[in-house]
Amino acid sequence: MPTSFAAMRRTVSSGIGIMLALAVVSSIGIALLPAHHTAGLQAWAFDAGHVDVYNLVVPSWNQRHPDHPLNVSLLLGPALQTRMMSGFYAGTPVADLLEIERMQAGPVFAGPLADIGFVDLTDRLRREGLIDGINAASFSPWTTRGHIFGLPHDVHPVMLAYRCDLVEAAGIDVSKIETWDDYFRAMRPLMRDTDGDGRVDCYPLNGTYANSTTTEVIMLQAGGTLFDDHGQPLLDSDVNVDILARLATWFGGPNRVTLDVNIASKSGLMLIHAGAVLGVIVPDFSAGSMVVLLPMLAGKYKLMPLPAWEKGGRRTSVQGGTMMGIARSTPDVDLAWAALKHLYLSPLGAERLFLDRGIVTPVKASWSNPVFDRPSAYFCGQPIGRMYLRLAPDVPLRPSSPYYSQAINRLGNIENELANLAADKNIGDPAELKPLARRLLAAAQQDLQAQINRNVFLGGRSR
Amino acid sequence: MKSFRPHPPWIPWLFLSPFLVFFALFASWPVARSLMLAFEQTYGPRTKAFVGLLNFQAVWHDPYFWTAVRNTLLFTGGTLLVQIPLALGLALLMNRPRLRGRAAFRLLFFSPSIIGFVFAGTLFFLLLEKRIGLLNAGLHTVFSHWDPDFPWIDHYVMTSLIIASAWLSAGFHMAYLLAALQNVSGDLLDAAAIDGAGPWRRFWHVTLPGIRPVLEVLVLLTLITGFQVFDLPFIFYNDSMGNGPNNQALTIVTYLYQTGFIAGNLGYASAIGWLLTLALIGLALAHRHLTRTEDPSR
Repeated sequence: MPTSFAAMRRTVSSGIGIMLALAVVSSIGIALLPAHHTAGLQAWAFDAGHVDVYNLVVPSWNQRHPDHPLNVSLLLGPALQTRMMSGFYAGTPVADLLEIERMQAGPVFAGPLADIGFVDLTDRLRREGLIDGINAASFSPWTTRGHIFGLPHDVHPVMLAYRCDLVEAAGIDVSKIETWDDYFRAMRPLMRDTDGDGRVDCYPLNGTYANSTTTEVIMLQAGGTLFDDHGQPLLDSDVNVDILARLATWFGGPNRVTLDVNIASKSGLMLIHAGAVLGVIVPDFSAGSMVVLLPMLAGKYKLMPLPAWEKGGRRTSVQGGTMMGIARSTPDVDLAWAALKHLYLSPLGAERLFLDRGIVTPVKASWSNPVFDRPSAYFCGQPIGRMYLRLAPDVPLRPSSPYYSQAINRLGNIENELANLAADKNIGDPAELKPLARRLLAAAQQDLQAQINRNVFLGGRSR
Repeated sequence: MKSFRPHPPWIPWLFLSPFLVFFALFASWPVARSLMLAFEQTYGPRTKAFVGLLNFQAVWHDPYFWTAVRNTLLFTGGTLLVQIPLALGLALLMNRPRLRGRAAFRLLFFSPSIIGFVFAGTLFFLLLEKRIGLLNAGLHTVFSHWDPDFPWIDHYVMTSLIIASAWLSAGFHMAYLLAALQNVSGDLLDAAAIDGAGPWRRFWHVTLPGIRPVLEVLVLLTLITGFQVFDLPFIFYNDSMGNGPNNQALTIVTYLYQTGFIAGNLGYASAIGWLLTLALIGLALAHRHLTRTEDPSR
C-alpha cells in the first residue's frame, strides 16, 4: 500500500489533488442536501386571486386535519403546465391537486383513458350527487370519452356591458333589444366621428378577430360547435358557415359594427376607457376585472344579456374555464378528494370568489347566497351576480377534445381571412362570404380529422 | 530546476469526465431519444406506440408545416437582406475617422441587442398597435386623414417581424463588422488610393475581402438564428400562440413547440425537429462549400 500511495503521490501533483478533493467533497455535499419536502397535501393553482380565495378556507381544513395540512401554491400557468405534464409523462413529483385552465387541458386528454394523469372522478361525482349539484355545462370541458377528470371552478356566463350613460341619453331602451340585429340597429346612430377626421371613433361592439375569442363566444351562443359529443370535429357544419360569414361582416366591410378591442389587454382597456366601443362582451370574470381595472367608468356601464343570434335564441354564451383535478400519483385519493371538495364547494370560497373576482360558482347550493343579489355600485346598482346566475343554466356545452386549441386556432384564422376579404372587397352581404367560409372550414375539418386519425391512442389508425 | 514529470494518460480523461458525463446525459441521450421519439407516438414514456415513418409522412403532407417552412424562409431571407447590409452600413459609418460622438452612436446602435427578443417583440407590438400604437397615433396626429386603425401588425406580419429583428440585431452585428473593419490594413487602402481607386473600388476590392471571414460567419449565424426563430413571433402574436393572422407568423420552431407542448404530440414535434436539424446541417454544409470554393486563397 505505501508503495502504491507513493506512486500515486508521484503522478498526482498537489494542485490536482486539491481539485479532486474539492470535487469529491462538493459532490458528497450536494448528494447529502436534504430534499425539500412539505408535509401534507399540496395543491397548485395558476391564478393569484384563486389562491387568495383558497387560503381563506384552508385554515378550517388544517384545523380538522392536523396530520394532513393543505398547502396551496401559486405557479404561473406555463410553469404549472410544464411541471404537470412532466409529472404525468415521466413521473416527476407533482402536487396532489392541480388547477388548470381550459386551453391547457388538450395534451392532458390526448392519451389512453387509463393513462391520463388525473383521477377519473365520474363515479364519485355520481355517487355523491355532485353531477346534479353542479351546473351541467361546467363539466363539459373536463370530460373526455364520457369520463370526468376535474371539478369545475366556474360557469363563466357571458353578458353585454354597455355604456348606459350614452345609450340612455340617446333614448334607447335596451329591454326592447332581443337580437344582435336589433342591437346594431339601435346603436348604429351612435357610431360617430368624435374628432372630425371623417372616421368612426365609437363602435357598437368590441370584436376581436385577431384571435378567436369573439368568434368562439358568438359561435357557441349561436349553436355552433367545433366537436360532436364523441370528440369528432364538426367545423364545416352549415351553422358554422353561417355564423362565420355573418360575423365577418361585423368585423369588416361596409356594415362593420365592431372595433378590435381586447378587454384582456392594456390597449383594449385604454380604448374602452376612451369610449371607443358602446358595448363590451363580458364573461363574469371580465365584469369583475372592469371594476378593478377601469374604476373611472363606475356608473357608466350596465349589463344586459347578450342579444340573441336569432329571435328566441340563447341570451348568453361561455368563455374560459378552470378545473381542479387529483393527480393520479397522490398516495391517498380519498383524502385528496375531500380536500378538493373543501376548496371548490365551500360557500365561503364561493362568496369570496364573487366578491373579489366577480366569478359565479357552478355549485348550485351556493346560488341562494344573498351576496349574489347585492347591487353593484359599478354597474348602476344592478345585482350582477344574480343576473349571471340566471343565465348559468343556458350556458352552452363545449364538447371537449385534445384538439380543441388547434380547432380554435383554425377557426380564428378563417374568421380573420373572411373579415379581411369583407374589408378589402367591401362585402356587406354574408351570403357572398359563405362559399369561401365553407371551403376554408372544410379544409380545416379535413386537416383536423387527419390529425385525429393519426392518434393511435384515440382509436386512430397508424397509417 | 524541477524535472518535468509527465502525467499518466488517464489524467486528462479524469478531468474531462464530468463534462463527458453531463454531455452524454443532457445532450447526447436527449438527441438520441428524440430520434427514437420521431418514430413513435407517445403519451409519456410508459405509453408509446411505434409508428414507423408515420410522423415524417404526416409532416410531409401537413399544410401547416409547409406554411411554417415558407414563413421561416421568408423571415430568414428578409433578416439576411436587411440585417447584414444595415449592420455593414452602420459599421462603415462608425469607422469613419472624423466621426464625432462615436462612442455615443456605438452605444445607441448596440444597446437594442442587450434587451432580447421578448422585450423587442413587446415594444414593437405596442409601437404598431391599432389606434393607440405610437406609429398610428403619431401619423394620425400629423396627417388627420391617416386611419388610426391601420392594421400594421395584421397586414405586414413578416415585415413587422423582420424590422423588429433588424432593430434588435443590427447593432450586434455592427460590433463584429466594426472590429473587422478596424483590422483592414490601412496601408492597403492608402496604396489603392494612390493607385487611383475611388471609394467604391477601395471598398469592393480591399475592405470587403478584408472583412469577408467575419461576414461569412455573420451570414451563417443569421441563417441559423433565422431558422430557429421562435420568441419574436410568439410574443408578437401571443393571442394566437405565435401563429399571427392566417398563420403568417407561424415558424418551424413555433409549430414544433405547438405540436409538442400545446398538443402534447412529442413524436410529431421530434420529427419536425429532425427535419429542421437536417435542413440546418445542409445549410451549414452548403455555406461551407460555397465559401470555400469561392475563396481561392484557402
